[in-house]
Order: sequence, then structure tokens, then C-alpha cells
Amino acid sequence: MAKTVPQENIRNFSIIAHIDHGKSTLADRIIQECGAVSDRQMSAQVMDTMDIEKERGITIKAQSVRLDYIKDGEHYILNLIDTPGHVDFSYEVSRSLASSDGALLIVDAAQGVEAQTIANVYIAIENDLELLPVVNKIDLPAADPDRVLTELEEAIGIDATEHNLVSAKTGIGVKELIDSIIERVPAPKGDANAPLKALIYDSWFDNYLGALALVRVFDGSIKKGQMAKVMGTKDEHQVLNLMYPNPIAPVKTDEIRTGEIGIVVMGLKTVDSLQVGDTITDAKNPTAEPIGGFEPAKPFVFAGIYPIETDKFEDLRDALNKLKLNDSSLSFEPESSMALGSGFRTGFLGMLHMEVVKERLEREFNLELIATAPTVVYRVKQTNGEEIEIQNPSELPEPQKIDTIYEPYVKATILTPQEYVGNLIKLLNDRRGIQIKMDYLNETRVLMEYDIPMNEIVMDFYDKLKSITKGYASFDYEPIGFRPGKLVKLDIRVAGEVVDSLSIIVPEEKARTRGLAFVAQLKELIPRQLFEVAIQASIGNNVIARSNVKSMGKNVTAKCYGGDITRKRKLLEKQKAGKKRMKSIGKVEVPQEAFMAVLKLES
Amino acid sequence: MLVYIHIPYCDSKCHYCSFNSYVDKFDTRSEYMKALCTQLSFELERFNTKEKQIKTLFIGGGTPSTVAAKLYKPIFELLKPYLQDDAEITTEANPNSATKKWLEGMKDLGVNRVSFGVQSFDRNKLKALGRAHSPHQAKDAIIYAKKIGFEHLSLDLIYNYQGDTKKLLFKDIEEAFNLPIDHISAYELTIENGTKFSSTPKVRQENEDLAFFVANEIRKRGFSHYEISNFGIYQSKHNKGYWKLENYIGAGAGAVGFLDDTRYYPQTNIEAYIHDPLKITKEHLSPDDLLTEKVFLGLRSTIGIQKSLLSDKMKKKAQILCKENKLNCDDIRYFNDNFFLSDELALYILD
Ligand SMILES: Nc1nc2c(ncn2[C@@H]2O[C@H](COP(=O)(O)OP(=O)(O)O)[C@@H](O)[C@H]2O)c(=O)[nH]1
Ligand SMILES: C[S@@+](CC[C@H](N)C(=O)[O-])C[C@H]1O[C@@H](n2cnc3c(N)ncnc32)[C@H](O)[C@@H]1O
Ligand code: SF4
Ligand SMILES: [Mg+2]
Repeated sequence: MAKTVPQENIRNFSIIAHIDHGKSTLADRIIQECGAVSDRQMSAQVMDTMDIEKERGITIKAQSVRLDYIKDGEHYILNLIDTPGHVDFSYEVSRSLASSDGALLIVDAAQGVEAQTIANVYIAIENDLELLPVVNKIDLPAADPDRVLTELEEAIGIDATEHNLVSAKTGIGVKELIDSIIERVPAPKGDANAPLKALIYDSWFDNYLGALALVRVFDGSIKKGQMAKVMGTKDEHQVLNLMYPNPIAPVKTDEIRTGEIGIVVMGLKTVDSLQVGDTITDAKNPTAEPIGGFEPAKPFVFAGIYPIETDKFEDLRDALNKLKLNDSSLSFEPESSMALGSGFRTGFLGMLHMEVVKERLEREFNLELIATAPTVVYRVKQTNGEEIEIQNPSELPEPQKIDTIYEPYVKATILTPQEYVGNLIKLLNDRRGIQIKMDYLNETRVLMEYDIPMNEIVMDFYDKLKSITKGYASFDYEPIGFRPGKLVKLDIRVAGEVVDSLSIIVPEEKARTRGLAFVAQLKELIPRQLFEVAIQASIGNNVIARSNVKSMGKNVTAKCYGGDITRKRKLLEKQKAGKKRMKSIGKVEVPQEAFMAVLKLES
Repeated sequence: MLVYIHIPYCDSKCHYCSFNSYVDKFDTRSEYMKALCTQLSFELERFNTKEKQIKTLFIGGGTPSTVAAKLYKPIFELLKPYLQDDAEITTEANPNSATKKWLEGMKDLGVNRVSFGVQSFDRNKLKALGRAHSPHQAKDAIIYAKKIGFEHLSLDLIYNYQGDTKKLLFKDIEEAFNLPIDHISAYELTIENGTKFSSTPKVRQENEDLAFFVANEIRKRGFSHYEISNFGIYQSKHNKGYWKLENYIGAGAGAVGFLDDTRYYPQTNIEAYIHDPLKITKEHLSPDDLLTEKVFLGLRSTIGIQKSLLSDKMKKKAQILCKENKLNCDDIRYFNDNFFLSDELALYILD
């Protein structure tokens, strides 16, 4: 059973950083410094996570931990609150930060400020957090802490006079950093006597315990056995168990008090009922208002996901349902496509989320999938006054029924070495970006901010950005709402038929070039077959690009094999298996890659 | 019924060839020929062979001309009662080992057709393919074979080796037609695992035009194109038997036999075969397997496909092909004019 300490000795803090700047390593170092685990256990922890999970029947989130620390004879509780690093999960980031009272802002001493550093800082500032600048990796020969600190001040305008220099690798400066945390991160405010008010800032599914909520208690306390109410869903459940997160194994407790973090077990079957951002209160004596800012997770990017083998539709449904147990942001609805059969229109938080989900479906559930090109959500005001949201380009109404199409925009933040600025401006202009800001952080590094239609970044933007900057630029984005756009639906016709799953929505002025590029790309991807295949791009009935795949002249092995006809049959069967992986559109066989071809279009 | 006999010896290994043959086991020859007789006797019984029932006998390899004619004598004696009077009796022969003596010896045994592995008349190409003979040797051997009275002579050519041009292949075909042959097999080079070429697969060139060119040039000179790789004023009955899925005995290390719905594979290793020529692996063919084979074999040749073999779904697809002029049909059969498309057509119909 864990010791309790007075509220003023609790410190709740997060770590924010651009990817690879050392967040995980520093967290491990802090955990070690607090003596929560021995050196041996430290490595054991990494190695044995799976076993521990099985033994304890609980998924350990290594980086959200409660640590005991004694300083000058005083007992402190340090709650290190994990945040997902990626922009796709920025809502979760913001909820984690809302649970903290301060944040360590880590910057790599050799790399300097990057796009995710900035994006995360903005969220921290919105949440009124005390920011502790930490320059990490000072052991590197290329480390230049002064330059990095100047960048922090210039790029984000934060005061970096008080800062820590550390090496998470060697441990230099880590003890001093903990002292700074105790000094500078404010103790949690909150009224211990008020009704319970706790923020769910993470939730996940455990095979033994069911859905678990990781909460920060703002007011009152949560007690084992009490009836609690989830304010968003209005559902009431009994609190079966309470635990403090710990790097080795959760520690049971009977109460989570004001200012503390902890895990709440209510025996629920899905995380849907414990959504991140929702508020838990006392069912008998509820708090008046839930914690502000709760929005159910909202997908930004949609794509059709189809099993390659059409009889795997139900398997795909089961797999999606299982993933959803652990990911309330995942949304899906059955849809059917003439070309691809039955599948699901699936909503994602962003491109990374989409990739992760697709990969998990394929790997953990052994499914072979085709994903259509991702699309954003459009709002369409129709001439009859009605407004609709569309998640699939093929749903776009006839042009004459459309009054205005609104498309989502994002604020894109890009940090780049100065020599690539020209290339980037060209790319961003080409993608209809509007420059908001361009600051030289110093002679060599530039911060660019653009408002840009999300439509322009869901496809091949990131790869393009990386390639024109030799990988040196970093990029992050944040949704900023809808704006009207001059957009049209570009259809692809194969052998005269519109292939629904290939339709895309494009800016009118780019329709022609896109159409030409798309048709050329498909011509390469669709193999020659028995019949000549006409490929066209059209807007409505207006064909804007066309090409043909010539009919095949020859497909045979013209070699002597005498009586060994089995050998020849096996070769044919191999070809047959290859064809099974293609989708037929009328008489035409289209390979899977064609459905993702649009991703590789040069615009 | 057909009989195939495999002779697994070669003087050297050609760079493209994966047929079962050895260049360093000549001392096993007489033992091997005895083992062949053992297997043949067994197979004649297993196939319940009646007198005069064998339509064709084919001695292939490897290189049959590496084995002296007199060593074949016991085999011919064993088979004699079962061979039809007008049986087609073919042997393959390599130009460098098909000596006058050997040819005469085989003729005396009753062979009436010789298929020469010529591949090309271009010295450099022969060398590049790893062949052990010169263009001259090939011509001389064929002319001599004609002279001593073989009824049917054929030669093999290979095309779409890298650097093959219309000019080179035109010359090969001209040379072939200057010889007293009534049949040509023109094979497109295939890269096979385990061959010298498999490490340099680029030596096979993808050239559709050349394939059509070769076929046209041969047809133009009056040989009818009766299978993807075979042309002649005389059409080999043995080959056609394979493509109609007739039963065939396969004797020897690396031979394949077929009876009704089973394929038979004797051991491929010479010593193992000599040790136990009756140790034979069986492969059962399902009705689907057999149908697949009938479909692609029929489409590769003038044999065609019996309509009644196909399911309704397959017939529907075949009908689409007919409508698009990719396939012909009469009341009972579908048949294909463009053998070079046959695999694609088969895949389309079988789906
Ligand atoms: N030299 C050096 N390398 C470090 C230091 N901190 C982290 N790293 C390395 O930087 C890489 C990224 O670290 P990680 O903690 O995974 O970064 P995260 O993505 O922010 O969690 C790893 O290879 C670490 O070993 C440091 O202080 N010095
Ligand atoms: C059974 S083989 C060998 C016959 C004989 N030993 C000879 O070389 O003349 C019959 C024919 O198949 C052809 N052949 C063998 N391997 C081939 C390959 N990999 N690609 C194309 N044709 C091949 C050659 O034309 C060869 O003459
Ligand atoms: S092609 Fe003929 S000679 Fe050459 S290795 Fe093959 S079987 Fe032997
Ligand atoms: Mg990490």
C-alpha cells in the first residue's frame, strides 16, 4: 500500500519533445534516480514487459508513473504523465497536459527546435503549464545548448533563462532536473472537500480487468467501492479497484486523492464508456460542471478498408471491433464498392493513425487489406439549403446541386534549414498553402507557418517535404476549421465504368493535371490483358484525360516439357494465384496498387 | 498408348538445360539400360498392355546418342510385340554424337524418326548456349540420316536468347529449310532453376515480336503450326498424345508416366534408379487438375477444348472470348488460333 503525502508535496508533470529528442530515455533516467527500480530491474522491465503484463493481468504504461522522492527529508510524489508524441493524437496530448501542472520541454542539444516541439508547446501554453526548458544530449560532440536556448526564445518566445542541461544517456544533470521540478512545477490546486472531479486522460483495455481509466483527480477523492458517474455518458458504475501506476507493477490503493493520478477499474467491457477527456464524479454527490474541453475523438481522415479476399469481410469486422476496444477514436461503418466489394469506411485521427491501424489489422489479425486513398471530410452546402458532410468522394452530389464545398484547413508548422526555404515555398504554394509566418530563428534555421487545405497534405505531402529538404525539415499540423474551396470530383473510368473507389476530390484548377497524371499512373499499373483497356479521367461526363492499355499479345511458356505436364500446370496455378489478388472491374483485372496509386501522384 | 524412355546422359551440360542428365556417369550405362528393361516389363503389366497397342515410342533425354545402338537392342526386343506395325518411333539425337554408325544402328532397330537438337546454326550462339557441336556437324548428321532412309526428321531451335535478332533467326530458319526435315520444334528460351543461366536471367530476352516472327517464318514455308512450339508437314503423334492426355509409360531416371488420373515419377538419381527401378512416386490428379490440363493443353495446340468438359460458368467466359474474337468455336469444340495467348486464355476460362 502506497504512502500518502500532503497535496503540496505532489508534482504532476509531462514531458514534451520532438520525436527522438530523448523523452523515453529521460523518463527512464528519472525513474531510476527516484529509486523506483534498480538498474537490473530497469533493463528487466524493458525485456519482460510482456510477462509482467500476463502475470499481473494489466497493461503497464511505463511512462505514466508515480514516483516517491525524498528531498531534504521531505517526501514528494512525482507523477510523470505520459503524452503520445504524434500530432495525430494531439487531442490526447492536450488531455495529458491538462492533467499536468508543469511540463519538461526537451530539446535535442544538437538538433534544436523542431516542428513537434513547437506544436506541443502551443498545447502546453493553452493549458497554462509551467514550462521547464531542458536541453538533452549535451554529451554529444555536436551539442550546442546556447544555440538551442536562443532558438527556444526566438521560435516560441518562451523565457529560457532558467533551464536544465542534461544527458539522459549519461545521467548528467538529472538529479538537478528533479530538484528543478520540485521547485518550479506548482503543487496541484484543488479542493479536497469538494465533490469528486477527475479527468480521464487515458484509457485502455485489459484482458483481465476490462476497460481501465487513467485519471487525474482535480477535486475531492475517489474511493474504492463508491458509485461513480461518467459525466459524458451519464453512466454510473461501481469503483471495483484503484491503483497507482508504477514502473514495476501497479500499486493497489483504496483512495486517489486531490491532485493525484491513478487507475480506476470499473469492470467495463469497452473503452467507449471511458473516453479520454470525460469527467468522473461521485454518483451520489456529483460536481456541478464537468471539466471543460471534452470532445469525443473526431476522425479527420477517412479511407475505405477492404479485405483482398472478399469472404474475409466478417473477419475484418471482428478485427475492427477488437481494435476499437482499445481505441475509441476509431470509427467505421460498412460500405460497399463495385470494385472492391464489401468493406468499411474507416475514420482516423490522421495519417499515422491510419497506417498504424492498417498495419495492426494485417499483422495481429492476419488480414490482407486494400486501403483506398485517404480523404478528408468535406462539408457541402447544397442548393436546396441542406448541408451534408461527406467522408467518401463518391458521395459528392451532382455539381448542379452544390452551392459551396467547405474543406478542412490545418495550420502547418515547418522548421527547416534555410537552404531549403525556396523548395518549400514552391511546394507549399503548389499545395494551395497560405503563408502566415516566416521567421529566421538564426542564420541557418527558419520557422514557417502556413494555413493549408488538409486535402493537400493527406497524400504524399510528408514524403515530398522530406525529399526536397533531404530529410532535414520537420513538420507538424493542427486543424483550424473549414473554408470554402473550388473543388470538383475526379472520376476514373476503366473500360467505360466509373470505379467508385478511385474517385478523388481535387481543386478545380488542378483537375486536368491530376487527371492526366492519374491516368498515366494507372496505365503503368494495370497489366496488359486479353482485351484492350480504356482508362479515362472525367469530371461529370466530361472526359479530361484518356489512355489505353494495349491488349496482351503473348502469355505462354513455349518450352519443351514432354510428359511432365504437372510442372506446367503448377506454373499456371501460380499465375492464377497472382490474378486472384487482383480486383475485377467488368472484364478488367486491376491490381491492388492501383487503388493506392493516387497517393503517388505528382501534383 | 505411348512409351517414353529417358536417357540421362550428356556429353556436356548446356547452359539453359534442367533436364535430368549427368555428364560424369557414363560407366553406369549398361546397368542403366538393364534397369530400364526391368521397369518397362513392370510398366507393360501395370498398364495392362495388349499386343500391338503401343502407338508411339519416344527415346529422349538427356542425350540418347550417348548410348551405343546395340545397348538399346534388349529394349526393342521387349517392346516389339506391343508396338503397332506403323508405330512412330522417335529418338532424340545430338549432332556431335549422332554418328553414322549410331544412326545406322538405330535405324536397324526400327527407329523411323529422329529429332536433332540443333538450337541454332550460328556458331557464336551455339557456343553461348553451351552446345557441344558446330553448325556443320548438325547439317551433316541430318543429311546422313535422310540418306540412310529415316522417314521423319525434325530439328529443335531456341529463340529469344539475348541478342537474337530477326536477321539471325531468319537465317536459322532458312538453314533449317535447306535440310531434308518435315518438322521443327522452336522453343522460346526459358530460364530454369539450377542451370548456368539462372544466375544471369537477363540472357533471356522478352521479345514478343520475335516469337511471332519465328512462327510466321516457319509457317510461311509450309509447316503447319500445330502446337505453340511445334511445326511440320508431319505432326508428331507422340507429342499429340501427351497433349490429349493419353496414357503413357515413362521409363527411366527423370521420366514421367501417366495412367488415367495418376502421374508416375521413377527416381531421378541414376544409381538409385539402377538400384530400384520400381520405386516410383505417384501423384494423383483431381478432376479439376485434369480439366485444367485439358484446357491449357487444348489451347496451346490445334487440339482445342471439348465444350462438354466445361462448366456453365466456364462456357460463359469462353463465349465472351468467342464474341471478342479471341477464341473460335464449332458445335463441339473451342479452339485457339493464337497459341501465344494460350495461358492467358486458360486463366480467363478457368478463373
Ligand atoms: N547521446 C545521447 N543520446 C541520447 C540521449 N538521450 C536519448 N538519446 C538517444 O536518442 C534516441 C532517441 O531517444 P528516445 O528516448 O527514444 O526519444 P523519444 O522518441 O523522444 O522517446 C535513442 O537512440 C537514445 O539512445 C542523450 O542524452 N545523449
Ligand atoms: C529434351 S531436350 C534435349 C534433347 C537433346 N539432348 C538435345 O540437346 O538436342 C529437347 C529440347 O528442349 C529444348 N530446351 C531444353 N531446355 C530448354 C530451355 N530451358 N528453354 C528452351 N528450350 C529448351 C531444346 O531445344 C532441346 O533440344
Ligand atoms: S539440351 Fe540436350 S545436350 Fe544439352 S544438357 Fe540438355 S539434354 Fe543434354
Ligand atoms: Mg520514445
